[in-house]
Amino acid sequence: MPDSRTGVVVIGGGSTGAGVLRDLTMRGIDAMLLEKGDLASGTTGRSHGLLHSGGRYCVNDLAAAIECVEEGRILRRIARTTIEDTGGYFVSVSEADEAWEPRFVEGCGKSGITCERISVEEARRREPALSKQVRTVFWLPEDGHLDPFYLVMGNVESARRRGAQVRTYTEVTGFLKTGNRVTGVQTRDTMTGEQTTIACEAVINATGAWAGFVARLLDVEVKVVPVKGVMVVLSHRVAHATINRCHKPGDGDIIVPALSVAILGTTAVKVPHPEVLPIEWDEVRHMIEEGSLMADGVSTARAMRAYAGVRPLYDLGAEAEGREMSRNFAVIDHEQRDGIAGFTSIVGGKVTTYRLMAERVTDLVARRLGVTTACTTADVPLNDRDDDLDQLRHRPAQLGVPKPHGDDLSLQPMVCECELVRPQDVEPWFQDPAVRTLEDIRRRTRAGMGPCQAAVCSYRLAGRLITSRSLEGPAATRAMADFLETRWRGVRQVFWGSQLRQAQVTAGLHLELFNLDRQLMLEKEPAGTPEAVGAQR
Amino acid sequence: MKFDVAVVGSGLTALVAARALQKSGRQPVLIWPGLSSLYFVYATIDVLGYADATSTEPVERPDDGVASLIARDPSHPYARAGLPALREGTALLLDWLREAGFRWQGSLGENYLLPTAIGTPKPSCLVPDSMAAGDLRRPDPIVLCGFQGYEDFSPELATSNLSRSWGGAGRSVRAIRVLLPGFEPGRLFTSIDVARALEDATLRREVASRIQQQVPEDGVRIGMPAVLGLTHDADVHQRFQDEVGHPVFEIPTLPPSVLGLRLFDRLRKHLQETGVEMIWAAPAHAAEVADGRCRRIVLKSAGREQPIDARAYVLALEDAVDGAMRAGVHAVLDPFFHQVLARSAVPTERTDESPFKPQPFAKVGYAVSDRLQPIGNDGRPLAGNVFVAGGSIAGYDPVAQKSRGGLAIATGYRAATEAMAA
Repeated sequence: MPDSRTGVVVIGGGSTGAGVLRDLTMRGIDAMLLEKGDLASGTTGRSHGLLHSGGRYCVNDLAAAIECVEEGRILRRIARTTIEDTGGYFVSVSEADEAWEPRFVEGCGKSGITCERISVEEARRREPALSKQVRTVFWLPEDGHLDPFYLVMGNVESARRRGAQVRTYTEVTGFLKTGNRVTGVQTRDTMTGEQTTIACEAVINATGAWAGFVARLLDVEVKVVPVKGVMVVLSHRVAHATINRCHKPGDGDIIVPALSVAILGTTAVKVPHPEVLPIEWDEVRHMIEEGSLMADGVSTARAMRAYAGVRPLYDLGAEAEGREMSRNFAVIDHEQRDGIAGFTSIVGGKVTTYRLMAERVTDLVARRLGVTTACTTADVPLNDRDDDLDQLRHRPAQLGVPKPHGDDLSLQPMVCECELVRPQDVEPWFQDPAVRTLEDIRRRTRAGMGPCQAAVCSYRLAGRLITSRSLEGPAATRAMADFLETRWRGVRQVFWGSQLRQAQVTAGLHLELFNLDRQLMLEKEPAGTPEAVGAQR
Repeated sequence: MKFDVAVVGSGLTALVAARALQKSGRQPVLIWPGLSSLYFVYATIDVLGYADATSTEPVERPDDGVASLIARDPSHPYARAGLPALREGTALLLDWLREAGFRWQGSLGENYLLPTAIGTPKPSCLVPDSMAAGDLRRPDPIVLCGFQGYEDFSPELATSNLSRSWGGAGRSVRAIRVLLPGFEPGRLFTSIDVARALEDATLRREVASRIQQQVPEDGVRIGMPAVLGLTHDADVHQRFQDEVGHPVFEIPTLPPSVLGLRLFDRLRKHLQETGVEMIWAAPAHAAEVADGRCRRIVLKSAGREQPIDARAYVLALEDAVDGAMRAGVHAVLDPFFHQVLARSAVPTERTDESPFKPQPFAKVGYAVSDRLQPIGNDGRPLAGNVFVAGGSIAGYDPVAQKSRGGLAIATGYRAATEAMAA
């Protein structure tokens, strides 16, 4: 007997899985999302957050560019609050770049991207950060910043309100089958080890870079190439708009002002496993050097941390390598391809096109289930009810986006001063069983993402783990330490300048004033200590 | 400007050095580069909490502990400074605290064991009166009191940890929270706001009575976040204790550290009131050396460079990268002699994988002679009349052993003594 039942099991809590979950529930299909870590803890939450106008792909990957154009416009309708419309510059800084310009202009034209060439003087007037090397500037008003965490949580909350279930830290370890039909999944809680079985009519594999591992449980092959990308976070926005290098996409040619920070991206290195994501110093250095070619202030800004994400590139069998592989996606109908009914994979793609990916795979699965309701995700906003994103108020005041009650943030107590996160922003998440670690709180609220990298808020959140989660002291202290440790992994990659002083203050506070090092030595780690799966190693 | 001895630094090290010079009848100038991390994290003066970085057994007698540390490791900054400097410097500081109006307790012969804001016992040597009642060597039950809507001290977290590590056999710990009149939840307030407000007797009595209502039992002591007065600490603490009717002790918590503010603001002001000249917010960025002696250091003041000529100099930076020390991507450069103090191929080399272990970068500093003179690559002093104290001595890392205050005192005192003789 299975422990529970649902209509469709969606595996993977990134933007694709969250989009699929919502799409299913909007078509009236009962669904459950299983994620082996936290929501948005894999590829999505480790993206650079560039909402692609399509300009980046318009020369080499026209199909992907066209999807970006269309989906970008849709997202502005349905996910308004997850986007900051910064617009973007594509800049040439060398003769080689200038040689790329005609193809770029042609590509924009072919894919329908709004692109305007502006004079360097005008560009500098609008964006004083543009470097002296800049020779040519194109303005692409549809580039922007897409908050990947907010997007996933928004989709998931919308689906939950329609009855969807969400289980985080729940890994699929096997499938239930009747003949050649998948009839359910076996799961294991990655923290408690608890095993369950869930009966369902269909399973959608939306695990991106992990899709091959899930498919292998059914002895079928899905070739996804994990390609690592390293990003560097600067402590302020550096520029008003996104900046791309106008050339054949390469390393370190994107600057994204993202909420209160700027993100430099990225590299493209094939890795043997999606969880093996070492951050090499050469990558970090290269990111800053290349960024400095496009914008002043990149090399002098305070780098706060570096992180690595993994692209799930679908291997179409071509000889293409890394970045030259298509950013397109594919729906794999395993019934047709492998003779396994009830199992479908959605692979490739990127955050900007998550909704379309969800629509395509849901179309297929719904049809198989005999559901004829059409997809409405392109039209119905995520915040389709008044209270919709009520729990998701974490937009910093720097953006001028008022939190829902719109009152003055400066007079309210904060849990995280760096990112302006208040007690009422974090408290609802402590009631959510999907939230298990302080990193999970961070992904939902941005607490701990500012310059002090959780030095202050970790203590306040640990206190709340006692009062709101009824944890014992050692478990709450361990959670605080885990949070600091996870942040530290990124901090130490860019450890120069004022980072050292910040680390001195943090050590003085936690190790000297709190004696946390001795607390950790004295208290043996409790079994099943929360450690986010898929966390950066 | 010409001076006798110039002391550069804004922490306890610099204060002790300046005071030692002053007490010996010298005319120091204190060059204060800006707020140091002291203001965020200082509370007690820890001399030696643990014998090494990994032991969990607190040192009982700091003086004995330092003596055996010196015997074990002759290159340790305590060994450079010497036990007499620690002893004499501590006596000087305790006298100074009394003269400046503080009530502090403790001696080098014992460590207190005080609960931290996460409820971990921590050994500390010299402690303000207002913290002493928290001593965990005493068995009296503890009530930890927080405030409603105050995020910076969690009595629940501290209680849960403390009752495991210390509780049992009549040693009970429990948590309460009281509502602070005028500081209702939903309103932003910091430790400093509360500390200032509690200097008002009416409010204080009201808070005391609210605590009494929640603590009907006898024989307990009350632990609170360190907010008992911003400046008039001893008075507020003593009066509040009487008003509550139980011993009360403060626990240092999230920044801003009211205890650090009280200590450093008053000591600095006391120095000024007693005639020590101060130059504010001026990081030093160059030294002029001729014939083996430093003739001048140059400060970056607002809009200009300011030369300071002294007979001797004490560089008393609190931490490895305090003040003007520059940590570039690969090299840490000292601002005076422009020596590369440390070089790393990749930035991660400066750190340990764990944020809770000793960090290589913290040990960065000048190699020093037996007289605490900075020495260059040729092994000779860079300048015979410059003496290094505090965090800019190579190998100086007070974090794991909980020795920040003692190291500051010992090296600050020793450097000042050497500067007098130079």
